Amino acid sequence: MKLKKILNDQRVVLTLLTIGLFIFFGLRNSAFFNVDFVIYPLLRDGATLTVIGLAQLCVLSIGHLNLAVGRMAAVSALVAGASYQYWGLTLVQGAILGVLAGALLGAITGWIIVKSQVNAFIVTLAMDFALLGLVTFIYVTFTGATAAFTTKPAGMDYWRSKSLKDFCVAGICGPKSIPMMLLPAIICLILVSFMFSRTRLGRELLSTGSNLRAAKLSGIPVENRVMTAHIFSGTLAGIGGLMLAYANGSFTAAIGSQVMLPSFLGPVLGGTLLAGGAVAVLGTFIGTMMTLVIRQGLSVQGIGLETLNIALGLVLLLALSVGQIQKMFTSIKLRGKK
Amino acid sequence: MSAELLINKVSKEFPGVLALNEVNLTLTGGTVHALLGENGAGKSTLIKIITGIYLADSGSLKVSGQEKRFHNPIESTHAGIAVVHQERNLIPEFSVEENITLHNPPLKLGIINRKERTRLAKQALETLGFEIDLNERVKNLSVAQMQLVEIAKALVTNAKIILLDEPTASITGSETSKLFDVIKRLKSQGTAILFVSHKLEEVYEICDTVTVLRDGVSVLESKSLADYKQGEIVDLMVGRHLAERKNIIRKVDRKATPVIELKNLQTSLGHRNISLSLYPGEVLGMYGLVGAGRSELARSILGLHAITGGEILVNGSVVKIRNFTEALHNYRIGYVTENRKEEGLFLDFPVRKNISVTILAKILQRLSVINPKKEDDIATKYVDRLGIKVVDNNQLALTLSGGNQQKVSVSKWLAAETKILIIDEPTVGVDVRTKASFHELITELANEGLSIILISSDLAEMVAVADRILVMRRYEIVGDLDNSKDYQNMSRSIMNSIQAV
Amino acid sequence: MKLPVFFRNRMTEFSLSVIFIIGFLALVATSNGVFLSRASLQGFLTYLAVPITIGLAQMVVLCIGQMNLAVGTMGGVSCAIMAVLMADHNLPIWLAIFIGLFSATAIGAINGALVVLTQLNGFIITLGTYTILLGFQYRLVKTFTIDKYPSSLPEFGKRNFVGFPYILVIALLTAIALSLFFSRTIMGRRILATGGNPIAARLSGVSNNKSIFIAHTLSGLLIGVASVITISSLPGINRSIGGDWLLASFAAPIIGGVLMSGGTIAIYGTVIAAGVVRLVDIARAQYSLDPSIVSLSVGVVTLSTVALSEWRRRRTERQNEGIKGSP
Repeated sequence: MKLKKILNDQRVVLTLLTIGLFIFFGLRNSAFFNVDFVIYPLLRDGATLTVIGLAQLCVLSIGHLNLAVGRMAAVSALVAGASYQYWGLTLVQGAILGVLAGALLGAITGWIIVKSQVNAFIVTLAMDFALLGLVTFIYVTFTGATAAFTTKPAGMDYWRSKSLKDFCVAGICGPKSIPMMLLPAIICLILVSFMFSRTRLGRELLSTGSNLRAAKLSGIPVENRVMTAHIFSGTLAGIGGLMLAYANGSFTAAIGSQVMLPSFLGPVLGGTLLAGGAVAVLGTFIGTMMTLVIRQGLSVQGIGLETLNIALGLVLLLALSVGQIQKMFTSIKLRGKK
Repeated sequence: MSAELLINKVSKEFPGVLALNEVNLTLTGGTVHALLGENGAGKSTLIKIITGIYLADSGSLKVSGQEKRFHNPIESTHAGIAVVHQERNLIPEFSVEENITLHNPPLKLGIINRKERTRLAKQALETLGFEIDLNERVKNLSVAQMQLVEIAKALVTNAKIILLDEPTASITGSETSKLFDVIKRLKSQGTAILFVSHKLEEVYEICDTVTVLRDGVSVLESKSLADYKQGEIVDLMVGRHLAERKNIIRKVDRKATPVIELKNLQTSLGHRNISLSLYPGEVLGMYGLVGAGRSELARSILGLHAITGGEILVNGSVVKIRNFTEALHNYRIGYVTENRKEEGLFLDFPVRKNISVTILAKILQRLSVINPKKEDDIATKYVDRLGIKVVDNNQLALTLSGGNQQKVSVSKWLAAETKILIIDEPTVGVDVRTKASFHELITELANEGLSIILISSDLAEMVAVADRILVMRRYEIVGDLDNSKDYQNMSRSIMNSIQAV
Repeated sequence: MKLPVFFRNRMTEFSLSVIFIIGFLALVATSNGVFLSRASLQGFLTYLAVPITIGLAQMVVLCIGQMNLAVGTMGGVSCAIMAVLMADHNLPIWLAIFIGLFSATAIGAINGALVVLTQLNGFIITLGTYTILLGFQYRLVKTFTIDKYPSSLPEFGKRNFVGFPYILVIALLTAIALSLFFSRTIMGRRILATGGNPIAARLSGVSNNKSIFIAHTLSGLLIGVASVITISSLPGINRSIGGDWLLASFAAPIIGGVLMSGGTIAIYGTVIAAGVVRLVDIARAQYSLDPSIVSLSVGVVTLSTVALSEWRRRRTERQNEGIKGSP
């Protein structure tokens, strides 16, 4: 009985599935267990994509979408990169500036949605296009053919390549396979999870997503909450953008151009509702890791990028259909009870 | 004349409510048959079964002597049944003529025949004696014009049976008399017409036979209308048990400062010269027909629609309420909506979260974290107080019956300790027993000092619960009556004030 | 002043036509007439055909209140299939074109079927198919440019009919056919009814699921047409085909007056809006600005158009509400 309950939890199933896939790929090709070339980068990418997945999750919680996550990440990286290159800011100063840029973009997006009452989809889509133009334009204008900011502030490579092995307490060091980049992701996971499960703000966001009109009539300032969700989304996208740039080693317009699908995959696989009102924060991490295991696993098998895309798309469609089938079963059960 | 439509022992159950219980109805060609009943009596459900939107659980339905089971609206249309629904069912971007011919567009070689379409639409509108540009898009029409397009849409199918669900709710007097001319003409051509209306005067003017539904049961089945007086019909509709219940006249101090007072209020929706006062501990009833502008007034007071003139006073001082957040936190006003599923509840949330939504600020510990114990205690308190039937506080609102859902929707405002509560149609779609317990609850709350504005289209409910009754018609207050709790007298005076204007 | 019904319903299209004419004349004037030369006019018109067709493909889905994110990769895959069949398998042109059209339509049908089966918004479904198709596209084309197919196809793309490239004529004929479909056939009207008011549509006997399915399928067919136009107007096919279609596909219908909420179409509006966007592109080239500027300005214009139409809709709604209370 208890076992059945545990197995019913989507997160447990996903974790088991992810571990299973991991072992499967490892047994097919032992190169998959290589720490330096597979596990470390896998976790590092996982950290970044989790943060971007959380950026998507924040707006999914109110039933919105953010198609501009990737581009918000790009702007954040652009601002940080420019601050290092031209204003000589330190790593932390530039990072703060970059994240603030992300938050500001989120605020602008939220403001447009609230004021114009236009569907979040189209606002963020148009925002994506506008930012794509803007980011490319700025890189090309300021750096010409290189189209990248290459100045690395002190400490940037630390995040790119260091692991817990370099973090020693009383002579005991951590495993080499855990990248330092996982640290900001874990902090984000804890904070976002805490907010949604425990705080008033989280409850108000979820209420807004569950039933906007009921929330409004119950005295929840729904317009402010829509703004809040988009500001959080922009902020997390900004953090994700910086993580992408640090892992990448330079600041280019291509940062964030590949994250739109993964940003949905993580939360949706984890059990976040597209309609709003329910989020799966830890599920976002597990879902993201699963997609990455599939991706890396196939690529270690020597299967090209094209097949990866096919697999990931199928995973998304499958995950969505499973949710629908589950729903159908529950409604049949409910009817049966009556 | 033969029976065009014969309904025999039709039942339909929804989760928690038996909407129709072995209802019978006989509709004969060449007659106008009134289907009467209060809100929630089952009229709309019956119409939806006849038109194939719902499938009956049991019982039979015969059209022109043939047994039918309609699985969708098309089957019903093909059987010769046309309907004007209470809700607007037009495509806003389509032209008038296209909406009129929507069910069955005329074709030539598989292509829409526009000439024929124009001819049909024109003919239908001429029958109604009503002029409008056939090419105008429906979204640009007024509500009354849309209603007429709906009616034209039913006429164009040349149906043998026409169902009219509140066709006059949003049209003017002269348009109504044109409609009645059309109904008379159709009747003389042998069409069977089922007429649903709250306006009894209209019913007596146009109808020949009558069926009365009460709480899902047909208490009067296809009798000649001429044999019953208006008062008798009303009694049948509301049921003696409610009308004759012992009612105590409560004492309300009308010299105290009103907790809320409106002076010559005007709104962007069209309310004019609305003046009213609600005294501490009073239950102020607001009666009117559907579309009289009562809910709209309540929502305007709470800041959802713009106030364009006059003033609102709370506890004697002039205030400006911009939204529900301010209404709740600054003025302690709550609003129990009539659409509990769409606006009242978070269906996929547990009962606990539904109740605590208005008091999140009060159950916090450090770092703005919700204290789960406090939340649960408050939820338990109101679940017990209102007798909400739940397994535990974590049961999803979705799985509750209508009456219990409504109680959850009220609980959140009680939890917020509001001083003023506006309750909008609290007992639509709940069964008789729950209804009675709701009426007791409202009185109890008022005795404890809560001031209540009760919006209802249910006359018996109004007379049973309210201390004073305001009558609204077309966005104006047309009557202000002290409730003597004598049903016969009160219903007459209320009807008089509605008709007098 | 009350304008006649015909004009009131076509204000957007009318203003866009004026903007197009003014923009066109401005370009002629600032280029000292060079823009009117045969070569540059040809260039303008040739590369107008694809934006028109993909705009229409998106419009068909917008009109049921959904969207198709996979326009680009559907086109890319369809082009790749045609190119590979002709170059590697020596299929005759007509057969390759038929298979190209068919495959795009079939993908559209799959999108539609998935939307109906899962009852999810088309957005998320097409995001999934987008990714899958991107994989197929890369697989088919790899990193090459495929151009070893009969040159009669690209040559056809260069031919013209009294100055109008044939491919633009194809796009315009498609637009006219689509317009007839929506205005005169039962299926077309049903799709619009579904988009305008699904409940009313259902009561009038329209199967909303069928409308959704057909709209997505039709979108696929139109993308197929766009692919045929693309393969005839380019010297070869590579993996970047379709990569820049998404914005263009939304920009044309939305600027042209189609509402995101569904229920409307604006075929002439879409065509003329595609023309206006094309003028912006030409102007950019003329003043040698960075291509990103076009993306930036089109994004901003699209956003403002949506905001404006939403604002107008709300205003009418408010006005209608007011009527309720008046005697």
